[in-house]
Amino acid sequence: MRVILPPITFAQLRMIELYQIWKQYQPPRWALSDITFTVKRGDFYFITGPSGSGKTTLLKMILREIYPTQGQIIVDGKNVVRIHDHKIYKLRRTIGSVFQDFRLLFHKKVFENVAIVLRVIGISRKEIRRRVFNALRVVNLHHKMWEYPSQLSYGEQQRLAIARAIVNNPKILLADEPTGNLDPELAFEIITLFKEINKQGATVIICTHDRDLIRHFGEKILFLYKGKLIRKEAL
Amino acid sequence: MIIQKLKYFLNETLKNLWQYRIRNFFSITIICLSFLIFGVFLSLSNNLHYTAQQLSKNMMIIFFLQKNLPEDQRSLVEEKLKESSLIEAVQFISPEQALEEFQNSFPELRRIIENLRTNPFPSSFEATISEENFSSAETLAFIQEMKEMNGVEDIQFNRDWIEKMQSLSRLAQAVGFFLGGILVLASFFIISNVIKLNVFARQEEIEILRLVGATNTFIRIPFLMEGMILGILGGLVSLLLIFILIKFFPLYLGASLGVFSELINFRYLSLSQIIMLIATGAFIGFSGSLSSLARFLKV
Repeated sequence: MRVILPPITFAQLRMIELYQIWKQYQPPRWALSDITFTVKRGDFYFITGPSGSGKTTLLKMILREIYPTQGQIIVDGKNVVRIHDHKIYKLRRTIGSVFQDFRLLFHKKVFENVAIVLRVIGISRKEIRRRVFNALRVVNLHHKMWEYPSQLSYGEQQRLAIARAIVNNPKILLADEPTGNLDPELAFEIITLFKEINKQGATVIICTHDRDLIRHFGEKILFLYKGKLIRKEAL
Repeated sequence: MIIQKLKYFLNETLKNLWQYRIRNFFSITIICLSFLIFGVFLSLSNNLHYTAQQLSKNMMIIFFLQKNLPEDQRSLVEEKLKESSLIEAVQFISPEQALEEFQNSFPELRRIIENLRTNPFPSSFEATISEENFSSAETLAFIQEMKEMNGVEDIQFNRDWIEKMQSLSRLAQAVGFFLGGILVLASFFIISNVIKLNVFARQEEIEILRLVGATNTFIRIPFLMEGMILGILGGLVSLLLIFILIKFFPLYLGASLGVFSELINFRYLSLSQIIMLIATGAFIGFSGSLSSLARFLKV
């Protein structure tokens, strides 16, 4: 039997759309000014620029951690700015995030740090065990499952944050300086891991100012400078 | 799935309670003291109410008859008493019986009585009155009517001090409710503040939960359970203390109080009062926590 799939529309191809985004924390300085770009499904993007150029602000707005002062953000067809507070969890469940400061739960063990993502969704205990183990294996931390984050090295904590971001097979993976303070070898290893996740269908956006990494892995790059998008590049 | 979630929440709640155990211990102590004061007054009120009830059960009205009252007139009084629906039983007490009873009750006064040449006691009717009619207006009207009847010299009806005991019971209950109410309100604010501190202490964790897609309910439930457990534990410990107090306080005061020892012989709280106390604890904990979350947990 021949199955006819519905045609994919252009809108369905878009994963993240930003339209004329402005953000001001303290007047008169604008943290972001007039940012417009589109990220398609399955894209692998680097956002780069010097410190204070607005990279983190941009990621925070996609996750609706903060609101833009002006403009619209569409993620997976939904206007993030207009989603009601008590429904925002639905969006966040589709996004995996690796934060610059990792944001780990230091009083909980490695396993629990990853499992929490699945617990909030209400997945069964057996399934949680399976998925957490797999995610930790991907980042090669499965042997430290019952240790506390404080017992891990800096690089391991970073990998733990990645395991937490990927455990729920997110549609989007946002990473803010995931290789900061790591030695180049480990940094390459981690970006390779993101590439793998991207190959499995996730849209990945990485903020970094590591030029070597961008040179090596960069296909699509956004350059920010003083809150402005100065260059879009597809290598 | 629900059991799994509940287990997770309970686990989280207990871990959090243990993590901030000193703060939580103090809040339980204050809740416990509030309930203890309330419970002691409730117990005292129970005791006074019980004593008043016991006394009113055996309440009698004594109708003293005039001396040398003719037999037919005495029968008229007896008939009138028996006809009344307010009176349960009537017993005639002759002057001889009254004298004998007095001598038995007060043997030390026997000699004084013996020195008297005549029997000073009049004949009387002892009428038992049912409990429900004890303080009714009908009874009072009936007594008034009997007072005016021929042959009736005097009527003894010690209603006042039983009524006073009943009012005292009500007063104890009211004081208990008043003080308990104030302290329960204080407990509410204490729980509210403890939860506020717990929310602040776990701000980072809450932030992480929010970012990984936890719902408001998922974040709030452990805090609400914490409040409830604090309230319930406070209630339970206060019940235990009330029990100890009731068991040992009268012993400590000893029998030196004589007839008044019955007054401090506290009666333990009834099952409904125990349930009410624990439920109040749970409710205060829940609402205290909820008010704090509404103000300080921005999700």
